[in-house]
Amino acid sequence: MKRFAGWTLASPATLLIVVFLVLPVLATIVTTFTTPGGPFATYAAFFGSGFRRTVLWRTVQVSLATTAVSLVIGFLTAYVVSRSPGWLKSILIIAAVFPLLTGVVVRSFAWLIILGKNGILNSTLLKLGLISEPLTMLYTQGAVVVAMVYLFVPLMILTLVGVLEGIPDDLIQASASLGAKPAATFMQVTLPLAVPGLIVGAVLVFTGSFTSYATPQLLGGEQVMMMGTLMYQQAMVTFDWVAASTIAAVMVVITIAIVLLMTRVARRLNPMAV
Amino acid sequence: MKNVVTTVLAVSAAALLSAAPASAQGKTLTISWWGFNGEKLESIVLAPFREQCGCEIVFETGNNGERLNKIQIRNGGGVDVAYFSDSFSQQGIEAGLFQKIDPAKLPNLAGIYELARDPQGGYGPAYTIGRVGIVYDSTKVTTPITSWNDLWREDLAASLSLPGITTTAGPMVVMKAGEHAGVDAFADPDAAFAAVEALKPNVVKNYNTGSEMINLFSTGEVSAAIAQDFTLGQIQAAVPTVVWAELAEGSIATLNTVNIPTGAAEPELAYEFINFILSPEIQQQLAEQGVDAPVNTSVTLTPEQAALWTYGADLIAGLQRIDYVQMNAAKSGWVDRWNEIFGM
Repeated sequence: MKRFAGWTLASPATLLIVVFLVLPVLATIVTTFTTPGGPFATYAAFFGSGFRRTVLWRTVQVSLATTAVSLVIGFLTAYVVSRSPGWLKSILIIAAVFPLLTGVVVRSFAWLIILGKNGILNSTLLKLGLISEPLTMLYTQGAVVVAMVYLFVPLMILTLVGVLEGIPDDLIQASASLGAKPAATFMQVTLPLAVPGLIVGAVLVFTGSFTSYATPQLLGGEQVMMMGTLMYQQAMVTFDWVAASTIAAVMVVITIAIVLLMTRVARRLNPMAV
Repeated sequence: MKNVVTTVLAVSAAALLSAAPASAQGKTLTISWWGFNGEKLESIVLAPFREQCGCEIVFETGNNGERLNKIQIRNGGGVDVAYFSDSFSQQGIEAGLFQKIDPAKLPNLAGIYELARDPQGGYGPAYTIGRVGIVYDSTKVTTPITSWNDLWREDLAASLSLPGITTTAGPMVVMKAGEHAGVDAFADPDAAFAAVEALKPNVVKNYNTGSEMINLFSTGEVSAAIAQDFTLGQIQAAVPTVVWAELAEGSIATLNTVNIPTGAAEPELAYEFINFILSPEIQQQLAEQGVDAPVNTSVTLTPEQAALWTYGADLIAGLQRIDYVQMNAAKSGWVDRWNEIFGM
């Protein structure tokens, strides 16, 4: 009976998800298997092209780099925030969330001004005499990673603060009273207990950066094409919807695969946590 | 309470009455266009046309690609008049989205330049004409650019922006690269793309929208670009020292066309509208107010007004033309090769 009530309550949301998410995604993927060339022709074409393989590999690299850097920065920040007194904590959280109040395009555009040839960074370095010619920083893979880290760190901090706050102080004190040094307590108590938060954060950041469009478009352009920008080009400019659907299908499969992999690694690290 | 009911009834009746002229005609013209210059187009084109036809006008706005995609999704329906740059209208024609035009229904065709009347084999006419050429910042590029071949000059290293392959002007870069290599890019794409590759060290970033390119100039990222002439005014507003290069080989003509999609609900109204925007009076006003260069031969402009535009029979006769059928056929292969050069 309880089970039935649960299903009934969940059915409107489930219906919405099925109609507006599952079915469209299936319809998109089905079109890639029904081309005249045979069911796998579009995938053969995708993986047969050196350029497309480069774009895929670059997207994976950029997303993994963004996730790794965001994990480190996000975890350290969240650790400090969660150990701060109440009033300071609120200020720090507001500061961390503040960038989320502006749009993705604005936040990416800011990096155009910082990293440009006549940008803040180059002109400062020139003034300090550290460089004699402006460095080329825009329209590189590095620029995309920097901007994406900036985009996603707030998300990581928010996810982790909640998890770190949930770790009872008793455990930390118990660990100390049993003779563990602060570093050992951190490594053996705090970090393993934070794994669920780390995984949720990593999944959010990875999928967000893997599917991002505005940031690679603005800071990378054609030179640093990623899966999102390539898909836009195929769908909106060359009108090759089947090729665009193929890219979408590849993205869905890879995202699911990497998320499963992350969960699995997490389970191995901490069987209790997941 | 009674008062309230009376008031509501009176207001409803008034609303019905005021809506009556439109519903008597009952027609709505749907226009798909970019959405630029909205206020000027409203006063020059839309308000007088509404008065003439007694109809409603609604819009679909967006860039070429997005709008063409929408029309394609609806199998040519949902829009009565479609504005596109010529390379995109050619794609629409090849996808079977536009109707053939009956010239008898457009008397104003007689008054426009020959090349604008029927640029794409029986489909919509061009209502404005532009040029693709080279713009450069005269303070940074000290030796003037006078030929397409100058793009390969060493002093332009890391200072150039090209239109992305998927934009109107993108494939023209490949054709120019072919000419630079002394071949026809359609016949010998390998040589043409070798020349594109040779151009790569000069390229900072390729752009997909006019505003992106203007940004590249205003932030000092680039000092030269291949561009369409309608962007020049905006670039100069940001960087006054940017000039239009006078090229020995001539610039390339681009036309913006108006077409009637196959699924248009009001084709007769669409004909009326297209004829309206080709009339000498409307073309004169659009040119004077800096909206579109005229194709109507009877438009006369002062030298200051004309400085903005591709204007005058001599200038127009000197422009190079592009075979869009051939270009679009080659485009999809070219997109991959271009990506392999700039995206690897």
